[in-house]
Amino acid sequence: MKLREVFTNGIFKENPVFKLVIGMCPTIAVTTAAINGIGMGLATTFVLICSNLVISLLKDFIPEKIRIPSYIVIIATFVTMVGMIMEAYLPELYDNLGIFIPLIVVNCIILARAETFASKNPPIPSMVDGLGIGLGFTLSLTILGSIREILGSGTWFNMQVMSDSYEPALIMILPAGAFITLGILTGLINRFTTKVD
Amino acid sequence: MSETWTLGLKLLIITAVAGFILGFTNYLTEQPIIEQRIQADMEARLAVLPSAEEFEEMQIEDIADEKAEIIELYTGTDAANKIVGYTFKVLTKGFGGDMEVIVGISSDGQVDGIRIGNHSETPGLGANASDEKFTEQFVGKSVDGPIEVRKTGSLNENEVQALTGATITSECVSDAVNLAIDYYNETLIGRGMDN
Repeated sequence: MKLREVFTNGIFKENPVFKLVIGMCPTIAVTTAAINGIGMGLATTFVLICSNLVISLLKDFIPEKIRIPSYIVIIATFVTMVGMIMEAYLPELYDNLGIFIPLIVVNCIILARAETFASKNPPIPSMVDGLGIGLGFTLSLTILGSIREILGSGTWFNMQVMSDSYEPALIMILPAGAFITLGILTGLINRFTTKVD
Repeated sequence: MSETWTLGLKLLIITAVAGFILGFTNYLTEQPIIEQRIQADMEARLAVLPSAEEFEEMQIEDIADEKAEIIELYTGTDAANKIVGYTFKVLTKGFGGDMEVIVGISSDGQVDGIRIGNHSETPGLGANASDEKFTEQFVGKSVDGPIEVRKTGSLNENEVQALTGATITSECVSDAVNLAIDYYNETLIGRGMDN
């Protein structure tokens, strides 16, 4: 596969949210607002690129039988480091993203990419795969967050977009609203991307 | 047997390296993180009691009710070393877990400002308590009586508008502010003891 294909694969063909349907827990939890979607997405992208790189470099060292605990140790180490460094040197960013960082450890997208891609491919394609999948995740979360924020709070990126007479639909920022939006979007995307024989 | 040893040894190497890297990162970032937190606390105190220039920590006499607890108390003084008010850090049980509310009460007997510190309220609902729209409602409230939360209708002088969909969070914040008010009235200026 060419690098460009690897990159776009994560955004469209294997979009983690709408196509692979993995990482649902953070997807449901953080998409109450568009800005949260971007924050979670970018933090995940960073960890994904780093963990894919390290796992690809270590693929000949890590024996098959203990790969899962090894991957989890590597991922958790990166996430913890990112959290500590961000809190120490980028406090403003940490204020906004801090609550998402620990959630990344339990994000199965990272383990899934380690397992299916990074452990079988060289370092550069693995990083590109991390970037593609990460941006695909970011894009999906931002779309979900935008829809829920506009309907549920009447704002978009904290700017008022609905008129004052609009009564925000509270259900949209509750978990039920996440399931409804996710279901409708996934259905629409499949409707237009799946070829019918 | 030898394969088991190899696996164990490799896992040991991976976890040992990870542990070493984490220990080193912690060693590097520990001090800056503590300084960041001190700085953030300082900024929060200044925000809720803007007339003060210097703050000094005070001993807290035992006061806690079921709903909240005062964990930090500072006296704020101005340039002339005159006491202009007090700041409280109150720990309360929010909807999603522990919640910190920083309250400033000025010496002329009114709430000067509040800030929401660490919390785990629901994003989009209870987390909106940090918004200025909600917190600024407490500014200027008198310490003569407790502050009440109201869901709908017009507000009386000692009432604040509850957050939409987050009445419990709103009440937790007002409980925290009321505890600070009680402590101010009863312990700091010794009022309300004689009735």
